[in-house]
Amino acid sequence: MRPTVAIFGLASDYGCQVQITNAEDDLPALLGALDIVYWQLASSASLPEEYDVAIIEGAVTIEEHVEFVQAVRETAKVVVAIGACAVCGGIPALAGESLDERVLDVYGRVEGVAVGRRAPRPLSDFIAVDYTVPGCPIDAQEFLGVVTRVLLGLSDPVSDDPLCASCKVAENVCFFDSGEVCLGVVTRAGCGARCVGLGRPCMACRGIAPGANRQGLASVLAERDADLDTVRRRLAIYNSREGS
Amino acid sequence: MSTIAVEHVARIEGHGTISVSVKDGKLLHARLDVTEPARFFESMVRGRTYAEVPLIASRICGICSPNHTITAIKALEAAMSVDTTPRTALLRKVLVYGSYLQNHATHLYLFAAPDYVGAGSAFALAETHPHVLERALRLKKLGNELTTLVGGRSVHPITAVIGGFTREPPQTELAAILESLRAALPDALETVELFAAVNEPEFETEGDLLALVQDEDYAIYEGDVGSIRGGWRRPVSEYRDFLAESVVDHGNAKHSTVDGRAFAVGALARLSLSGKLLAPRAAQAAASAGVETGTVNPFRNNLCQAIELVDAIERCAGYIECFLEDDGESRPDAVRVRAGSGAAATEAPRGTLYHSYEVDGEGVVRSADIITPTAQNLGNLEADMGRFVAAVADLATDELSALVQRLVRAYDPCLSCSVH
Repeated sequence: MRPTVAIFGLASDYGCQVQITNAEDDLPALLGALDIVYWQLASSASLPEEYDVAIIEGAVTIEEHVEFVQAVRETAKVVVAIGACAVCGGIPALAGESLDERVLDVYGRVEGVAVGRRAPRPLSDFIAVDYTVPGCPIDAQEFLGVVTRVLLGLSDPVSDDPLCASCKVAENVCFFDSGEVCLGVVTRAGCGARCVGLGRPCMACRGIAPGANRQGLASVLAERDADLDTVRRRLAIYNSREGS
Repeated sequence: MSTIAVEHVARIEGHGTISVSVKDGKLLHARLDVTEPARFFESMVRGRTYAEVPLIASRICGICSPNHTITAIKALEAAMSVDTTPRTALLRKVLVYGSYLQNHATHLYLFAAPDYVGAGSAFALAETHPHVLERALRLKKLGNELTTLVGGRSVHPITAVIGGFTREPPQTELAAILESLRAALPDALETVELFAAVNEPEFETEGDLLALVQDEDYAIYEGDVGSIRGGWRRPVSEYRDFLAESVVDHGNAKHSTVDGRAFAVGALARLSLSGKLLAPRAAQAAASAGVETGTVNPFRNNLCQAIELVDAIERCAGYIECFLEDDGESRPDAVRVRAGSGAAATEAPRGTLYHSYEVDGEGVVRSADIITPTAQNLGNLEADMGRFVAAVADLATDELSALVQRLVRAYDPCLSCSVH
């Protein structure tokens, strides 16, 4: 029987849910393999009491989210976190520090606006996550691969490799050689180093590789006389805890 | 008494709750509470170096990310007096038109179309109207191919930077997508026919309609701001003088007014102001669909988006042809950092998008202001909901609720953009 699936958006730009719809060629097959019972972005169906799989985009940024994701965890057999916001806090977590000052900055007051706000955190700070699809945005094909693993009940292996391995394979010119900082040294591989191939340094949107060699990064940075402050600040764009 | 309440209205981007109440023909309230959480982008980019800002600003929206990227870049270029080439402008326009195809196809078919066939989602079309769903996916895919070819991927472009592009699309692939664009024209024309045949309620908005305007072009990438009711035209750099934002007590999105009055932006406003400048096939399609300059029925925003699909295909093909004949450069020069402030606006698929930044002598952003299309539309949308329900309050609640949701969707709101 097809598993029932609910797709949810927490604080995010919905880009990862949009990426699911961007797998146009595979969408009919995906809709055949999954019974999508709830998806506010694409369907008027209301949330049923039971479903097998929860796919969640976005960071936890309000108190209501905390209770909500806990309820989802109690209901779903499998929880899949998609995108940098859900996996490592991503861009929303950039607002984690001095939250009230930011509210004042944007709204001109702190009372009665951005109600229930809390420092943005990734999903895994609150509930167990069974599968992750990292990246900002997710890659539609990588998402389909993870869905296949969910359907087959396979595990969710996370590659130890940093992005540098992918750059070697793609024969990309290393940014460090031209005196620019690139975070690929510690970033979780799997995107094929697309940004570097297109002339942009890695910003670590896929999070830090489990096997990241932080000492290696430190020595590369020291050798190249790189600006450590720039590295920390860049790392904080998607991985706010790593940058501090 | 008629009361409409729809929590977490579906088939729009972001979370919001509709609440309208009418008693004895008198409107008690009409609200779209934006419950989508605030993300504080304007504070996030403060203290960031100029090169990081477009990348962060792009994450305001997963659908119109090319527009946020390009608008942020243009505002920063204005702040630091960075020049760009005509070739760069061509690539940027193609990128923006890619997002038009993607956005309009997604909105018209996946979000709006189910309303017209009484379905809960477009997935049902796979059974009942497979050809329609296939057409939708073809148009959407073409938009994604364009943004991927120019920007490096469908969401959050990689190659667009201050001063130009880090990589250009290969000529052979551009020539190939030119063929795909031409082949897609029938799909776009059939979309116009589909939405022209829909029986929309007779209704006119009281608000103003605003869009970028140019003398010779259907403005998307640059221009002045034009007003249909006010009959005026003002430079984007002065937007703060005529466009006011205020915090409301029912949600995280600010509302906008122009000269103290609610207004709408988007395809309806663009067509009303620049309908005479549509590309030839789009102009024909608009004429045969009965859309004339000055249309002010917000339900017709859907039909206007369909006409813009035709226009986008024609215009985008033209830009690619120009690009293939151009022998200029789009590689960015090293940016000469200087202090300054700058504003820019583009027409995102859902309406005018403003970004402005103040940069210090180190190239660090000191302040930012971003006004998204949906934030501009919310006040007018609420006014329209109220007047519409008051006018047809004798309908059964279910029918009324369905029509109000259709009105909300016709505005193509992006609530995640609106709270940014």
